[in-house]
Amino acid sequence: MTCEEFRRVLPELEGDQHTVEQDEHLKDCSSCSGLISDLRAISAEARLLAGDQEPSPRVWNAIAIALRQEGLIRDPQAPALLSGSRLRDWRFGWLRPVTIALVAGAALLLVVERVPRRTQVAQQVATSSAPILKTAVGITQDSAINADELQLLNLVASRAPALRAGYESDLRAVNAYIRDAETSVRENPNDAIAQQYLMNAYEQRAMVYEMAINRALP
Amino acid sequence: MQRRQRVAKLVVGVFLAGTVVAAAETHQEFRFRVHRRASVSVANQFGPIWVKPSSGKEVIVTAVLHSDKVEVDHTHSFNRVSIVSHLLSGADAESGRVEYQVLVPADANVTLISATGPLRAERLHGDVILEGNTANVDVRDLSGGHVHIKTLNGPVTLTNVTDGHVEITSVGGDVALNAVNGPLIHVNSTSGRIVYDGDFGGGGEYSLMTHTGDIEATAPSYASIDVMASSTQGKVENDFLLQPTHASFAAKAGTAFAGTMGKAASSVRLLSFSGKIHLKKR
Repeated sequence: MTCEEFRRVLPELEGDQHTVEQDEHLKDCSSCSGLISDLRAISAEARLLAGDQEPSPRVWNAIAIALRQEGLIRDPQAPALLSGSRLRDWRFGWLRPVTIALVAGAALLLVVERVPRRTQVAQQVATSSAPILKTAVGITQDSAINADELQLLNLVASRAPALRAGYESDLRAVNAYIRDAETSVRENPNDAIAQQYLMNAYEQRAMVYEMAINRALP
Repeated sequence: MQRRQRVAKLVVGVFLAGTVVAAAETHQEFRFRVHRRASVSVANQFGPIWVKPSSGKEVIVTAVLHSDKVEVDHTHSFNRVSIVSHLLSGADAESGRVEYQVLVPADANVTLISATGPLRAERLHGDVILEGNTANVDVRDLSGGHVHIKTLNGPVTLTNVTDGHVEITSVGGDVALNAVNGPLIHVNSTSGRIVYDGDFGGGGEYSLMTHTGDIEATAPSYASIDVMASSTQGKVENDFLLQPTHASFAAKAGTAFAGTMGKAASSVRLLSFSGKIHLKKR
């Protein structure tokens, strides 16, 4: 069995139940056995975090309403977002909490971005999304690294120690951006430019998260 | 005589050293037949990727592996080619380094990912997606395709890119756009400097935004633009005589300006939270 074949069946693996062929491969391949051990550790951590990171039903409702108004989805079930083709490749169950946060952030960005061009109803949804946005992506009050980000950085460091410092510095920079943009929006809630800064700042952070997750994967 | 011998020994030594280094490297070549608008992706943790157009309907990948701690995985299904540098146990930035040169049909859609780069794409017509951490990104002579670039701190340079959507997101990398135009040009940076030198042509929407970086945009006097520039905490400078226009913000002297030139075919937004903005006349 090759690494590629093993990784193809990886999503179907349950606990410690492996076939003889898989066991033999794991004995011989330090890369795949390391991956399995990392996934177990992350999975255990993720289970503990899942309750905290799951966005409230309010978040899903707001996303679903706005996306339906945009004509982007027809299915009234918000969770359909997670079964879309875009997520078909997300094979690792342990990534779900992270995925949820990213998808919620991205979808809300989409909602807010389209506000100026859409109806008053959509504007109301976007306005009501503002506090939800905070819940969904966990805004920090300053440029400090929060606990989730620290965990992400440790994950990166476990795979590529040299990259950790760079990611930390980038996260601090984008968190400072978010802090300034949030202040600006608070002071000028109707300022389209201030809102644009905030959306761009979130886009930056989403990119850093996404790239860190990708680098953390073997 | 002794001097000649020393020189001869030195030459032999250099030759042998070169031979040892060359022996540690492995050259591999892969060829794949593809159809119109093929998708080609190359993911390389450490090392450069350079993509150029091929003459036929073939993808030719030349890889130079720096050690046996890395191997090249490749898949080819129908019209999709995927190349991945597979790091083996103990590989680091040097031993895991692979240098790729990839020839693709000019209409292929290309995705290149490398943490260290550099990444380079030239003379293509398909969509190009480039992603890197510190990778230096260099894109030139592209037309008709969308260009999406993401870097953390790697500088991005685009030269002669036309008629496509260009979207660049970089946390700290400087972004330089030379002769870049199209229906959508969007740059989003946290601390990088953004430099645009072109004519803002194509009746497009140009949005250059950064948190702390400076923005310098240079355009000719015949540019046809509806421009708006604002720096919340920094200064703005404008070399053009603009026709006043209704702006959604109060144009404060020194921190914001807005106006039109010519037929205002393209929309230009230059926004920096705390950096300086300068709209220069060429």
